Amino acid sequence: MCVGLPAKVRKVKGGTAVIDAGGAVREVSAELIENLEPGDFVMVHAGSAIAKITSDDEQESDQILEELGI
Amino acid sequence: MSSVAEKAAEYIRSYQGRPIRIMEVCGTHTHEIFRQGIRRMLPESVHLISGPGCPVCVTPIDYIDEALFLAKEKHVTICTFGDLVRVPGTEENLQDVRAEGAKVRMVYSPMDALAYAEKHPEEDVVFLSVGFETTTPPSAISVREADARGVRNYAVLTANKTMDQAYRALRDSADAFLYPGHVSTITGTGIYQELKSEGISGVVTGFTGAELLTAIAVSLKKMEDGKPFFVNCYPRVVTEEGSPSGRAIINSVMEPIDSEWRGIGVIPKSGLKLRDRYEAFDARKKYSIPNIQGHADPRCRCGEVLKGECTPNQCPVFGRACTPEHPVGACMVSNEGACAAWFRYGRDFR
Repeated sequence: MCVGLPAKVRKVKGGTAVIDAGGAVREVSAELIENLEPGDFVMVHAGSAIAKITSDDEQESDQILEELGI
Repeated sequence: MSSVAEKAAEYIRSYQGRPIRIMEVCGTHTHEIFRQGIRRMLPESVHLISGPGCPVCVTPIDYIDEALFLAKEKHVTICTFGDLVRVPGTEENLQDVRAEGAKVRMVYSPMDALAYAEKHPEEDVVFLSVGFETTTPPSAISVREADARGVRNYAVLTANKTMDQAYRALRDSADAFLYPGHVSTITGTGIYQELKSEGISGVVTGFTGAELLTAIAVSLKKMEDGKPFFVNCYPRVVTEEGSPSGRAIINSVMEPIDSEWRGIGVIPKSGLKLRDRYEAFDARKKYSIPNIQGHADPRCRCGEVLKGECTPNQCPVFGRACTPEHPVGACMVSNEGACAAWFRYGRDFR
């Protein structure tokens, strides 16, 4: 149920944001994230942007493995 | 497979330490682990257990019976996430009563349910509010907005749960947890440091193949040290502070209560109900729902599956009386349930 949909923020207005998820454009709540701006990438769940996405999964995983000597 | 995923997979395959039980708490993790064939590559000594992180699976049967009561006896319009529609109540499910004429609508978000209520003031609308910390803020926002806009034909039937006490209740079921990535966007990672200080280990995990394999490899590596550990393996999305505004929204509209988890029992302070300030939107009070005691099919072993005490194929009805088309238990209904995953991706997994 906690599936997240990655999306790009197009507009932010008040407590809402217009997001673009692979061409699907939708208005969602932006109340859960502070300082959201157009161009940010976010994870969307059940009509709310729940977090900013700050990196690529492969790059991040590689760094974690390196740090632990794996 | 990417080079990063291959590196993590190679580390996992070469593991020769003591037998280890890792519980993936999140239902979406369960689904992705099966879909990406990760179970097939594990050595004999590494056991993945599908835990209680599918909200549909842990919602008690009484709750479905309450929703059926509202649909049939009070003639309200039920708005719900799709997974709940086929979860068996004691005698029938929401899909059955919809076929008999009850109003049951599937929605993408609680705000969609509120929008429906505003457009249909002649109907009484109840949203079935299930879910963990990820899903609860939108439900809380819908109640706050209904109050602010004066929408009096909207209410919620709460079965929201919080995960922190569940880890404590299940600490003996696993050596480490794969903590749910998106629940953690709201809670932040402070709770996991607390759990570490209590001797409970785990890693926050993302959802891609590279992320899941990395999380399992990190768990195995840290286990070698023999000390409790916590590692955030999903920092591109999960931060230490999480979403303070998300937690504030929940806290302003809801308060903790003891809550029953299907198969696990009552876990103190692991559920949420509306605060008195919002009781006009509490479906239990608004429609005077009686105390309903549901009865699950006694053959169903979903409860033991959720605690890792048996695998789905050890249940006597799995794949026979209980299939995705005709589910007996909640773990077969939800796409994220362990039984549905076992059925869909093959029954030869350990």
